[in-house]
Amino acid sequence: MIAGLGTIPEGALWAIYLAPVASFCAIAALLRGRPLAAGRLTIAAVGLTWVLSMWALASALHHDGEPLALQAHTWFSVGGFEMAVGLHLDGLTAVMLVVVTTVALLVQVYSTGYMHGDPGYARYFAYMSLFTGSMLGLVLASNLVQLFVHWELVGLCSYLLIGFWFDRPSASAAAKKAFIVTRFGDLGFLLAVLLVGTKTGIFDIQSINELAHGGALGGAVLTGFTLGLLAGAVGKSAQFPLHIWLPDAMEGPTPVSALIHAATMVAAGVYLLARFFPSLDAAPAEVGTLVAYTGGLTALLAATMGVVATDIKRVLAYSTISQLGYMVMALGVGGYVAAVFHLFTHAFFKALLFLGSGSVNHATGTFDMRLMGGLSRAMPVTFATFVVGSRSLAGVFPLAGFWSKDEILLDAWIHHEWVLFALGVGVAALTALYMFRAIFLTFLGEYAGGEPGHGGAPHESPASMWVPLALLAVPAVAVGWLNVGGGFGTFVEGALPEEMRHFEFDVHPVVLVSSTLAAFGGIGAAAAIYLYRSPPPERVRAACGPLAGLVERKYYLDELAETVVVRWALHRGIGRAAAALDRVVVDGVVNGVGRLSLSAGDAFRRAQSGQLQAYTSMLLAGVVAVAVLLFVFGGEVLAE
Amino acid sequence: MLTVLLFLPALGAAFVALLPRAREHDARWLALAVRGATLVLAAVVFVAHESGEPGYQFVDRFEWIRAAGAGFSVQYALGVDGLSAPMVLLNGLLSVVAVLVSFRITDRPRAYFAWLLLLETAVMGVFLSLDLLQFFVFWELELLPMYLLISGWGTGRREYSATKFVLYTLAGSAFMLVGFLVLGLAAGSFDIEVLAREPVADAAIPLSLVFWAVMAAFLVKLPVVPLHTWLPDAHTDAPTAVSVILAGVLLKMGGYGILRIALPLLPGQAQEFSTALAAIAGLTVLYGAVITLQQQDLKRLVAYSSVSHMGYVLLGVSALGTTALAGAALQMFTHGLITGLLFVTVGLIYDRTHTREIAELRGLMHRLPLIGAVMVVAGLASLGLPGLAGFVAEFTTFVGAIQQQPAATIAGVGGIVLAAGYILWTVERVFTGPPDERWSGLTDATAWWERAAMGSLVLLIVAVGIFPRPLTDVIRHGVEPIAAVMGAA
Repeated sequence: MIAGLGTIPEGALWAIYLAPVASFCAIAALLRGRPLAAGRLTIAAVGLTWVLSMWALASALHHDGEPLALQAHTWFSVGGFEMAVGLHLDGLTAVMLVVVTTVALLVQVYSTGYMHGDPGYARYFAYMSLFTGSMLGLVLASNLVQLFVHWELVGLCSYLLIGFWFDRPSASAAAKKAFIVTRFGDLGFLLAVLLVGTKTGIFDIQSINELAHGGALGGAVLTGFTLGLLAGAVGKSAQFPLHIWLPDAMEGPTPVSALIHAATMVAAGVYLLARFFPSLDAAPAEVGTLVAYTGGLTALLAATMGVVATDIKRVLAYSTISQLGYMVMALGVGGYVAAVFHLFTHAFFKALLFLGSGSVNHATGTFDMRLMGGLSRAMPVTFATFVVGSRSLAGVFPLAGFWSKDEILLDAWIHHEWVLFALGVGVAALTALYMFRAIFLTFLGEYAGGEPGHGGAPHESPASMWVPLALLAVPAVAVGWLNVGGGFGTFVEGALPEEMRHFEFDVHPVVLVSSTLAAFGGIGAAAAIYLYRSPPPERVRAACGPLAGLVERKYYLDELAETVVVRWALHRGIGRAAAALDRVVVDGVVNGVGRLSLSAGDAFRRAQSGQLQAYTSMLLAGVVAVAVLLFVFGGEVLAE
Repeated sequence: MLTVLLFLPALGAAFVALLPRAREHDARWLALAVRGATLVLAAVVFVAHESGEPGYQFVDRFEWIRAAGAGFSVQYALGVDGLSAPMVLLNGLLSVVAVLVSFRITDRPRAYFAWLLLLETAVMGVFLSLDLLQFFVFWELELLPMYLLISGWGTGRREYSATKFVLYTLAGSAFMLVGFLVLGLAAGSFDIEVLAREPVADAAIPLSLVFWAVMAAFLVKLPVVPLHTWLPDAHTDAPTAVSVILAGVLLKMGGYGILRIALPLLPGQAQEFSTALAAIAGLTVLYGAVITLQQQDLKRLVAYSSVSHMGYVLLGVSALGTTALAGAALQMFTHGLITGLLFVTVGLIYDRTHTREIAELRGLMHRLPLIGAVMVVAGLASLGLPGLAGFVAEFTTFVGAIQQQPAATIAGVGGIVLAAGYILWTVERVFTGPPDERWSGLTDATAWWERAAMGSLVLLIVAVGIFPRPLTDVIRHGVEPIAAVMGAA
């Protein structure tokens, strides 16, 4: 049916981006007092973008994922610098459109249940609309500056939504932390934009990639450019050492975590690197190595922290950081398809898991797993879908996560990156361990009573919440098969220059066996420790000694950032010194000079009766000085 | 036309001053009407001047003082081009906003509004003057109403602050006057157009000294570190409307002076010292931002953030190319809107809470959602969020400056992280958190004048952020001739 419509026109692509933006404007201007209408409008707008995105997908499929020719428009121009705006559609864009609109639509439906009765309901949907529009603007941008603009806008929405419950000091602090920490990465990204823009005079993404691929853009400029992109990705996709904002971001409402901090915005960093993969590929090999090890190290650190977290959302947050690490690692070893594919599958099962944790919270009033347990009977749909999501994430055959994770490990293997391969397998084991630990603590065993004062026995969530869970379970199971045979890979490779398209679907026995063993090993360990308590978790913790404490304190990285860097160095050190300098030295000198001249002018002042006269005299003195000078230099002044 | 634009507020000031005492509360309406009319004229000038045409338009000119024996003359000459037109519009606009936020003034309203109106004429004169000495006269004329408004209607150590403001400016303008006289006598003309066409090659004292003498006044006004300490004091103790004008328009006189006079009239020296200017710019951005982080007083915080943001203007200037100069001119306009709005909201908060201590304010979003939302928008614009006006200006400046002044530009880009820090930290402390008992009786902005003042600025900030082209097209034609001179020198 869609194929009969032909290729999607540019106007319809703009509508994908602008429909949610229009929804935001309408809610902000008209619907603040009508929350239900605000929710419905948002769902309608996102629904429209979903339909149009399917059309865009069909068009992209029709072109084998190769870019559609679309013209850019002038935004503004100054001197030799012209700012353009335009849209870009290829296989990579189409995949991102599908991910963003599908998850956004289901999350909005879920939100009508989860946020029901919240006093900020209309504001919530306004922000969600703005986020969806900005995210779509980000993936559709044909121009680096335009991409940066939306990159910042999704960061703004993230800030607004993390701090949505602004009466909670922890939420406000988390929102601020998220924005500022990611801005450090954005700094690198902005410098990359400025660098490439001034050296080449071009901001068009496609052209930059072509220049880099063709060798016209290279050397230090390309290195600097790609490093700047990496900095941006490290901030946005919560990679070490800027990952510290994401766990705190869990202060936001859970559907926000599912949409923004799991499926879409945090994947924008990976998208950025994938979008500029031809540039990354042309950069010196050391850049790729840095990218790969940044991702690998992040994957490992985050996975270990996931094992000790007691808050179910934080487990998922660490898991997200870890999985994003996988994707970044894949890009570093040249696994473009693997990274995009894992981004794609991860969006569905991680959104599912977050929404599941929200459903659990709805029933128990808490996210603390120590207060849960035994929820499987009361919440069968939540339980079943959570297990499906966890298995997919843990990489159990034949679920979605299995295929995409194996693709990444395979890339490490065939590029002979043994350290990264071993790291990846280790992380796979840890992933299975922390997810099944979460399942056992939450759903099995005895119910620990939930949040004190949250009355009543736990019960399944309303249909508006469990239906999206059930719907998300389908892709979490099935989308892995899209790439069996290589269809997905060929499609997203349409975004690359022709010489770089060489994806072939493959499985390698060593990879297959080691990843499956890792998954079952992790699940087995979780079962032994948390289900059968042999050995009991306390003993395991004691056996790990100081290492356990180190991990529980998040490797002291938060303290390092907040206490040492911000509080000591910036505030007490530089800030106070500068403030003192300003007060004592700069102002002191000035006031000294001022006093001197005042006392000199005291006699003059005493002759006057008040401030006004004193001042007027000063002014007059200036004017008189002009007049006198004129008389001195020009004999005929005023004569004519 | 421009003469009417220039003297309409002054005429209005006379009428306001002559109002009978019984009707002194109508002073605000009269002031609003006069400024509204002025704004309409300013908008007409902005729209009607042909941005494609080179040179000044709507020129009004006659000879004022002729000293044929000494070979020079002083003229009364007004004109606009792409550089001054946005400044004229900004002045007209913020002047209306200033009247609106002054609607509660009951203390000697006739005098207050009369001085406020006279201030508008003085500032307009600076932006419209085509003659150095006339420029100087208006530059000085601005001090009188400022001094009286701060010392008469301010708070805190208002006389100290007002005096400090005047002394600083006078010190700067003394140097400027010397510089102008040297230039004018060397060329035999004080006409800016003539002087720009044929820059003076030799004068009584070395031209590099002349350059710094002229720059002294502009750098104090902008202000840059370390000449900035008058600014936080003046702001903190000034009434809201005066802060809006001071940050929104008066600081721009410094940037405007550099672009209109220092660069085109002394192009060789501007090039020679461009690296020094860039260094000052980088220092101003970073030092200003670090100090801003330390502030405990809301108004002082906004004042210091202005110092940091004016560093971007100087950064654009120091790069000397069309794009960077346009960025500087854009930054002057957008910062006027943004900081004007920040001061409006701070003033509205102070009207209600009677404190500006950040430590005492918390959870205000519960009681003041509209003011809070507006201040968040202004803050986001200030930290350079795309989609709002500040980003367009800062990004253009960075693009234009990074090639010529890479180190200072990187420092400038670093400033945006610090800006995010002080803005968001302030928002967190003042607006978020649980509702505070002490502020439970506050009412949000309900009066039409409060809403009109905030609404108009928010609208413009968003409009310029999303669709900057009408503004950039005008500014581009204003800075192209300057960049051409710089390229030739």
